[in-house]
Amino acid sequence: MTTLSHAPASSRPIPNPKKSLITKLNMGTGMVLGIIFCWGTYFAMKAGRDMTDSHNVNKVLLMSMLAWSLGFLIGIGALIGPFRWLIGKDLTDEEQLYLAGDGQGISRYFKYCTDHKVVGIQYLVGVMTLLGVGGTMAMMIRTNLATPGSHFVTPVVYNSLVGLHGITMIIAMIIVATGPFGNYIMPIMIGAADMAFPRLNALSWWVLFTAIPVLCSAWFLGGIPTGWTAYAPLSDQAGPGMNAFLATIIIFAISTAVAGMNITTTVVAMRAKGMKWNRVPIFVIGATISVALAIPAFPTFMLAMIQTALDRTIATGFYDASVGGSGWLYANLFWIMGHPEVYVILIPGVAALMEIAPVFVRKPLFSFNAAIAGFAGIAGLSVLVWAHHMYMSGWMPSLNGPFMVTTEFISVPTGLLFLVLIGTLWRGRPWMKLPMLSVYAFIWDFLIGGITGIYLSDVPADNYLHGSMYVTAHFHYTLMGAALTGAIGGLAYWFPKMTGRMLNERGGYISFWFVQIGFNVLFLGMFIAGAEGQPRRVADYAHLFAHANLISTIGAYSVGIGMLTLLWAIIHSWRSGKIAPMNPWGAKTLEWTVPYPVPLVNFDTPPVVTSDPYGYGRSAK
Amino acid sequence: MSDHEVEVLPPTPGARVGAFIKRKDVAQTFWLGVFFTAVFVVLGLWAYPKWMPVALTKQMQANKDIMIWFTVISAPIAGVVLAIAAKSFLNMHRGDTPPEEGVAIRTNTPAVIIWTATSVVFVIVAIAWGLVALNTDSAAATKDAPTALVVDVTGSQWAWSFYYPEQKIHSHVLNIPVNRPVTFNVVSDDVNHSFWPVQLGVKVDANRLVTTTVEADPTATGPIDVKCAELCGLYHAYMETSGEVQTPADFASWVSSVQATGGVQQ
Repeated sequence: MTTLSHAPASSRPIPNPKKSLITKLNMGTGMVLGIIFCWGTYFAMKAGRDMTDSHNVNKVLLMSMLAWSLGFLIGIGALIGPFRWLIGKDLTDEEQLYLAGDGQGISRYFKYCTDHKVVGIQYLVGVMTLLGVGGTMAMMIRTNLATPGSHFVTPVVYNSLVGLHGITMIIAMIIVATGPFGNYIMPIMIGAADMAFPRLNALSWWVLFTAIPVLCSAWFLGGIPTGWTAYAPLSDQAGPGMNAFLATIIIFAISTAVAGMNITTTVVAMRAKGMKWNRVPIFVIGATISVALAIPAFPTFMLAMIQTALDRTIATGFYDASVGGSGWLYANLFWIMGHPEVYVILIPGVAALMEIAPVFVRKPLFSFNAAIAGFAGIAGLSVLVWAHHMYMSGWMPSLNGPFMVTTEFISVPTGLLFLVLIGTLWRGRPWMKLPMLSVYAFIWDFLIGGITGIYLSDVPADNYLHGSMYVTAHFHYTLMGAALTGAIGGLAYWFPKMTGRMLNERGGYISFWFVQIGFNVLFLGMFIAGAEGQPRRVADYAHLFAHANLISTIGAYSVGIGMLTLLWAIIHSWRSGKIAPMNPWGAKTLEWTVPYPVPLVNFDTPPVVTSDPYGYGRSAK
Repeated sequence: MSDHEVEVLPPTPGARVGAFIKRKDVAQTFWLGVFFTAVFVVLGLWAYPKWMPVALTKQMQANKDIMIWFTVISAPIAGVVLAIAAKSFLNMHRGDTPPEEGVAIRTNTPAVIIWTATSVVFVIVAIAWGLVALNTDSAAATKDAPTALVVDVTGSQWAWSFYYPEQKIHSHVLNIPVNRPVTFNVVSDDVNHSFWPVQLGVKVDANRLVTTTVEADPTATGPIDVKCAELCGLYHAYMETSGEVQTPADFASWVSSVQATGGVQQ
């Protein structure tokens, strides 16, 4: 086996596997083959079919989209390894080094690269792109709702904006912390040389990448009218754009399954010597619980979408009441995914802030065990609460009581997360840097998100609130106010390790205040509109709600300005920011013991761990 | 404080609690907590009654009570969390060098136990309140069923229509008499809708080919806004109508006027 050197990947000669196909493949060849597969499938299937029948249109479009994904993956070389195994061979050492990006510069980021640090950056850019697209749609939604009368867009466009904003943000938020930090930082944090399955790591990113153009194609196929929940029978009735939604979820579910198994295996099997479970950094624990929760959740999502696709293509009638199916079957499958999914999103963000707080307060994490009990309790209960989304559906009203009990009990482990954070802050003198600000914003936002969740979980109150703007405000407080705030804190914290430069502080502060003040104004307005009785997902509303909606839109523009400022700060700092020292925060986790650029195999000598990373502070007797 | 200064704790638990409550930082945190608690209490007692519509039914009154009193009950918990966060925020250290080391508190068993027990009690109160309200509703519905006014509600893209089987009238507005329980049988002609007569404080989805039921007990007269609370396609936002909770005399005269025009409201 070739000996791996420890110098940075880009400063060494490029390995030259002779005549290997691998060296000739990249994103470009992937796109070419993907487009060929897509159009080839399209024309082959279209021939001889009656394209005035919507079932046929759905068949052709859906298969063309899935063919694009397969073609892209073949074109970028994702299947070379498995193919070699089929014929009883494997990649040569030189080929493996080449795949790891050894000796290559910026071009690594456009190839099927197995280096977890490259995958982390790919995810970071991908997440920022998705957040940008989803955020732009949010601004359009709020612009339309600024005044009564729906003057900005038509109802067709509005409904598509609502649905595509929803699914774009859900996908972005699922990967927002585990994608960039789970891939780039986490293996270094546990003292590993790479992920357990580096090729699957590359696969998870590039599979996800193929979903992005598919999702965007919905706009050119007439949009989607269903919101991201895609309830049947509305989804059966929907036009060709719906196929883009279904194909996106099917592709995305494969990506998360692959990534979930990879991260879980890495943490279980590849921790440094001496890193017992009670010495594992809390971010690693949180990210692992999150992806482990995703492993059962997303296949259910995929199944729900495949059944919708079958209803739409060959009229199987799974969800069609007129032939014996049931829309409630869909709703159940969807929320069996949907409720664990919100905790898949939330937990890594909270865990990142738990990693940050001890470093900046210079105190140990308060009650590591309570943090783990909090995450584990949430994960365990989260699979038993899904029907609280269906209290008003008419399906099994007799189960409303039991689901109310399980749902409200989630407050107990959630409360432990607050205890850990305020316990860490208690008597502390926090170093008020950018990452630390997110801890405070999180506490405020998640407190409001949490308390309003208690009303919603209560069936009699949900009688009024279900399907109203109040719900929209509540889940934005948890997913955006809590999870995204956590991820932005994580970005400010790990930016120096991922880019070698410090994130511009002035830009970061300006962005922070615009985003947080704007966010609270935005969703305070939405709470008021909901309490007054405005349904969610409406393109237009009565004059009664005009004040609340105007407040929301003003807040939204402030968030928009703040996010653009953050984008500027990131780009500016990445290109020409202040060079970061190896350990700018004085933290004790392992990722701060390696230089930038991080060597290909991370550590010169495998680290040995003798304590947990929270040994801050002077002792109190 | 220097790194070498070691805190000496009093010997007995009673003395420790005594020393704890005399500490200046604890007192400051306490007053911050009182402030934040007051903010949430005001929000509950003032803001929700102001924002939410006038209750025309027992159900809507129960909703408002939950919103108001859950806010008040959770106020002290929010107060504690925000006070500790605010106290530490105000104690911030700025600059490019890290602050001195804090106190190495790894955990505090009494604090964890008190916190967990409080949250369990809070949750049990919330659950009990909810279950009692839920049970009161369904018990009342069962008892009232024989005397209730029945309204068959049909949702279709994008309008509501109502049929009163007892009175044999069709209508596009929802008028009901006060002080008589009403049962809504709800169904959809096409996709899912959600029947939401806002001031009545009840809601149920309209599903295709399956009838769902919800009951309300009107206690006051006043206007009703009927909306759709489930995204149902193009004109979801405009799928609304109105109506009134009326005095029995007004309701009877409305019914006769509709019957006079052939049983279909014009």
